[in-house]
Amino acid sequence: MPPDPTDSGSAGGRKGEQDAWGAFGLMISGVAVWGGVGWLVSEWLDNRVFLMLGLLLGMGAALYLVWFKYGRS
Amino acid sequence: MSFPLAADGEGFNSPGPRDFEFPGIFGHDSFFTKPMLIVLLGSLLVAVLFYLAARRAQTVPGKGQFAGESVYGFVRNSIALDAIGHEGLKYVPYLATLFSFIAVLNLSGIIPFLQFPATSRIAIPLFLAIISWAIYNAIGIRRQGLVGYFKNMMFPPGIPWPVYILLAPIELFSTFFVRPITLALRLTFNMFAGHLVLLLFVLGGEYLVFDKGGIVGVLAGSVSLFGSIVLTFFEGFVQLLQAYVFTLLTALYIGGALADEH
Repeated sequence: MPPDPTDSGSAGGRKGEQDAWGAFGLMISGVAVWGGVGWLVSEWLDNRVFLMLGLLLGMGAALYLVWFKYGRS
Repeated sequence: MSFPLAADGEGFNSPGPRDFEFPGIFGHDSFFTKPMLIVLLGSLLVAVLFYLAARRAQTVPGKGQFAGESVYGFVRNSIALDAIGHEGLKYVPYLATLFSFIAVLNLSGIIPFLQFPATSRIAIPLFLAIISWAIYNAIGIRRQGLVGYFKNMMFPPGIPWPVYILLAPIELFSTFFVRPITLALRLTFNMFAGHLVLLLFVLGGEYLVFDKGGIVGVLAGSVSLFGSIVLTFFEGFVQLLQAYVFTLLTALYIGGALADEH
């Protein structure tokens, strides 16, 4: 038997499922994208500080985006 | 000098990733392995079951038709209609196939003699995720146009424009690249971990009872073996749940691609 969908809540629980994975994906993406840019700049200018800046920037931007998309209701 | 390692033959060989590597069925180096056999059997099973359920469909359904219709109806009502809405009806055939295929390949992990979830090999979930990814992107591009689709994806309205420089690449990366990967990894590692835990309980229990022996060994081993039975039922639940989650997320992504405004 397929799992009973009513257990995990109605449409509300379903949206929660999507939102949770959406937020997870955004956090990963933020660190990956801006951390990646920071790493490239670090390689170019031979200074590790840009990698750190990129990672922090990406993390902050992703947090803002998560708040903006999912946290304001 | 060296420590007695488990692999030396003495002591317990704890299960690990190597338990997911299979030699060829026809000779050690032949390409056809057990996971492939399971995929083949699973595809046949799903195809035959749905064929039998749909053949000579009657107003008063027989047993087979009833089973087929309850799976189909479950996907139709609880996944497609709920997650997408009325337009979701068009995608029920794909979603129902996806759900039953994944469910069967997952459940092969607890079916005697097969006892290996084929979906714990990354290639299968990854390929299914790529199909889902292609479908929801195609739907989005057809519905909103190429420019409109990526514009809606990358620029959620209501953010001051300089911030988009920071956020648009994150949105693009997360929707376009991370989604299919998390879709595949979630299924793979749920099956991987579940199979590993089952192996540990069964093999550990067997080792304690038969090799280690003694009153402690037999007692602890019996608890472990009994636990493996309970865990098998739990695994069955997780396997169905993961098939449901994979299908549901695909449906939600399709629904998101269909929505005009974000």
